[in-house]
Amino acid sequence: MNFSIPLVDFVCISPAIILFLASLIPLTVKVLRGNKEQNSFASLSWVVLGAVAAAFAAISFLPKHSTTYHFSNALVFDGVSIFVTVVVCLITVVAAVMARENNATNGRQYSEFLFLLMNSAVGMLLMAWSNDLIVTFIAIEIMSLCLYLLVALSHEEKLSKEAAFKYFILGGFASAVFLYGVAFIYGMSGTTYLNMIAVRAAELSTGGYLFKLGLIMAIVGLCFKIAIVPFHAWAPDVYEGSPTPVTAFMATGVKVVTFVAFLRVMKLDFLGHDPNAPLVVILQWLAVFTMIAGNIAAIMQQSLKRMLAYSSIAHSGYVLVGLIAATVAGEAWRGDLSVIFYVTAYTIMTLGGFCVVCLLESRENDIILIDDIKGLAKRNPLIAGVFALFLLSLAGIPPTVGFFAKFFVFSAAIKQGFVWLAVWGAIGSIIGAYYYLRPIVYMYMKDEDGVSASEHYQLTFGVTTLLAILTLLLGLMTQPFYLQVKAAISSFL
Amino acid sequence: MLLTALIFLPLVFGLGLSVIKDDAVVKKLTLAFLIAEFLLSLFLFAKFDPESAKLQLVERHDWIAAIGVQYFVGIDGLSFWLVLLTTFLTPLALLSGWTSVDKKVKAFCFALLALETTMVGTFVSMNAILFYCFFEASLIPMYFMIGIWGGTRRLYATVKFFIFTMAGSIFMLLGIITLMFLTASQNGGQISASLLDFYKLHIPFVQDEFFSTQTLLFFAFAVAFAIKVPVFPFHTWLPDAHVEAPTPGSVILAGVLLKMGTYGFLRFAIPIFPQAAEQWAWAFMLVGVFGVIYGALVAMVQPDMKKLVAYSSVSHMGYIMLGMFAMNTQGVSGALYQMLNHGVSTGALFMLVGFVYERTHTREIKNYGGLASAAPLFTILFVIVTMSSIAVPLTNGFVGEFLILLGTFSANKIIAGFAVTGVVLGATYMLWMVKKVFYGEEAGVVLEHKAHGLELNTREILAIVPLIILIFWMGLSSNTFMHWSKASVENLVQNHGQYQLTIKEDEVEKSLEKAVAANSAKKVLKATISHEAKNEL
Repeated sequence: MNFSIPLVDFVCISPAIILFLASLIPLTVKVLRGNKEQNSFASLSWVVLGAVAAAFAAISFLPKHSTTYHFSNALVFDGVSIFVTVVVCLITVVAAVMARENNATNGRQYSEFLFLLMNSAVGMLLMAWSNDLIVTFIAIEIMSLCLYLLVALSHEEKLSKEAAFKYFILGGFASAVFLYGVAFIYGMSGTTYLNMIAVRAAELSTGGYLFKLGLIMAIVGLCFKIAIVPFHAWAPDVYEGSPTPVTAFMATGVKVVTFVAFLRVMKLDFLGHDPNAPLVVILQWLAVFTMIAGNIAAIMQQSLKRMLAYSSIAHSGYVLVGLIAATVAGEAWRGDLSVIFYVTAYTIMTLGGFCVVCLLESRENDIILIDDIKGLAKRNPLIAGVFALFLLSLAGIPPTVGFFAKFFVFSAAIKQGFVWLAVWGAIGSIIGAYYYLRPIVYMYMKDEDGVSASEHYQLTFGVTTLLAILTLLLGLMTQPFYLQVKAAISSFL
Repeated sequence: MLLTALIFLPLVFGLGLSVIKDDAVVKKLTLAFLIAEFLLSLFLFAKFDPESAKLQLVERHDWIAAIGVQYFVGIDGLSFWLVLLTTFLTPLALLSGWTSVDKKVKAFCFALLALETTMVGTFVSMNAILFYCFFEASLIPMYFMIGIWGGTRRLYATVKFFIFTMAGSIFMLLGIITLMFLTASQNGGQISASLLDFYKLHIPFVQDEFFSTQTLLFFAFAVAFAIKVPVFPFHTWLPDAHVEAPTPGSVILAGVLLKMGTYGFLRFAIPIFPQAAEQWAWAFMLVGVFGVIYGALVAMVQPDMKKLVAYSSVSHMGYIMLGMFAMNTQGVSGALYQMLNHGVSTGALFMLVGFVYERTHTREIKNYGGLASAAPLFTILFVIVTMSSIAVPLTNGFVGEFLILLGTFSANKIIAGFAVTGVVLGATYMLWMVKKVFYGEEAGVVLEHKAHGLELNTREILAIVPLIILIFWMGLSSNTFMHWSKASVENLVQNHGQYQLTIKEDEVEKSLEKAVAANSAKKVLKATISHEAKNEL
């Protein structure tokens, strides 16, 4: 059997290769130095270099205006692949910067941390590029295994270990469900390549329940990763127990790529673009439950991280609305656009939110309660200001990027005939406004003492400021950003 | 450029304030700026043509071209006075809180400036998304203003204010999105959020059917504005917010922010959805008249002066609803006039209550008595404002209420009958308060604080006198004021069902005319010269 891989395939996966190679450097240096940590700044600069190079490679080497398949159809490269690669690189850099200064992750095992972080990012990239359900599974595993370790690597001894274990058990279970579903799909269609399933999707979905069963299981596996209610129960505990840099990394990165993979699965057209197909109806209910349950549960939280965890669940519901709009006939591109726009906006705001939490933690086992940030505006006016900006953006107040994200999701839903989803989204936003305002009330309108930001978190503070500027800028100048996203999704048309 | 300058100069100035350290300097500079901004807004008189119902001083730039969102501002008779009211009240509001706002002064000035940006922006935006951005963004500075500088229950009040308003406006956003998609068919597939395109829509309407497109959209907008106004069942945020807000906050909230709701009805809900608005006008007149009576009755039993004024606001805003939904020239122009009146008189009442509270630290009516002898000038001013509030002839309140009642009477006689009772009730609670607080034996806190002086100081007099002047000016020569909005109101009322708004191309025409005139003048001159030359020859 003649087996050759053309060079262009390697060029296309160069971002992943670059990230992987860069991840080896801090680790190798550490080994050569006799298992002593090198200067953490040097390690960090390798990550930044790697991520910037990977993003640059994605922009310059990957095909922009066409969809191409590589590694004998296993990977697909289109505008979305490039876009998501850049976003993942951004997330990796921010997480690495936070981890360098956070007390739960800095110091003695930073090189190992970076290795795992960047390899998790490699898994994310593969997931976003995958055209093959088996590759998707492997990508999920690469990404998740690294994450389990990252969570457990925290210097904090109790909660993080519990979180890692919980995440490991439930994540393993979800992966198994996903794989089981893939097995059914393979059994019925004889292939795991999405583009080949797509050709026969209509025929397959009328052919029997086994194919549908397989699809539903695969979707359940994905829903677990993006914390859609009722598959969300792990998220608050894991997000709270993990060191904040890791929480930020998984709350954003995992969601972005899983939604992209989800979008690729839903684009199979096995539902025949029918808005009344049972699966679409079920997904609609899941979206409603997720938006409402996530927002209501967030109201009751005392811990800032836990509140952000529930808010991230609620945001998954909004993206799911966009995703549903993308599956039915009509102007499906509005749905695609809203999904990509929303996850990007969500990434920026949520990273910013967790960055602020990170700035406020002074010990590795700190849990920042909302009560703790009373009067923060007096002690750290800048940090309070950017946090307020992130919260207002998460609440969807114009002119921040969060408003336009919601705007595009609502317009996709309305255009595609899911007005009731938009109405539930609006109700969710009202509930959301309540708990997003609460930290602002505490920071600005109460004058008691509480935590203040540590002074040695300078880089994290710099990154937070940049994210805040992005939040405002992408809102005020939505046009170029919108056009970028639209160009990215043009391959789906 | 004038409108853009009016919108964004306060924000830019506010950002610039961050370099100044001294609080006293910040306050003075802000006041100077706000006065300059007001003077700048006076240029509107020179640039605005009252004879035309068209949109003027238009500026149009692409913002998010892909979804038809533009930076599109313009002004017509409906928004003309509201912009001036905003720029007029803001410096007075700052002056009224000169000493009572003593902490975080710089932040307060910034909030006030940002608020002015969003208020002016709301009134001149002609693109629905731009409007929505300003409308929503105006919540943020007011939210901080109540929450940081407010009274004891400020946190509850400010969150309630924010959530209530947002709850309404987010459904309006869904309505705007739906309208944007509807414009695609008339614009060749390109969606647009421009109001001018919204006016051209013929939205499907089914008589007596609630679940028809136009009716649902109408309610999506109407509820958002009704909460902001606030109309009867949605009014509960208002007394809380007013009572807890610092004096400048109350002045701005009553003076301008509530007008965003009524302005929204005139700009959006009525002209875009004419049939639905007509069919449901009775409902809004009903809640309007209910608000008039209910607000007055509740005001009557308030032990707290500020709360009493707040409920009187509910009552007065009910009149404005009545006038707008009477949908005739008298009603609408009365409503528009009453918006200004309410801004002036209620703003003045909140100021005066704030002044006396600053001295005595109580607003309980029962703690007062005989203030008239202790503070005669204060009493005179208070009584004048009270007269305006209860619509005594010669004051501005009379003109507005009279026109509204006139309009209501020709629209619906029964409702007009009930609305008239509001006039009596209004007089009852206001005069009752005046009697308790100012007349009788000197009692309670008046005795206690008499030694420190209860009379107004120069700064306070400066803050209140412009309003007093306006009360009489607007009452005596109402035509001077109505002249500027007349054409737009007539356009709105007479073209009900086919309302259109076009941009006035005055700059182009004027420059053309000038060129033509100059040319012809030259020709005439030349001709004369040559003629004269010939004659001489």
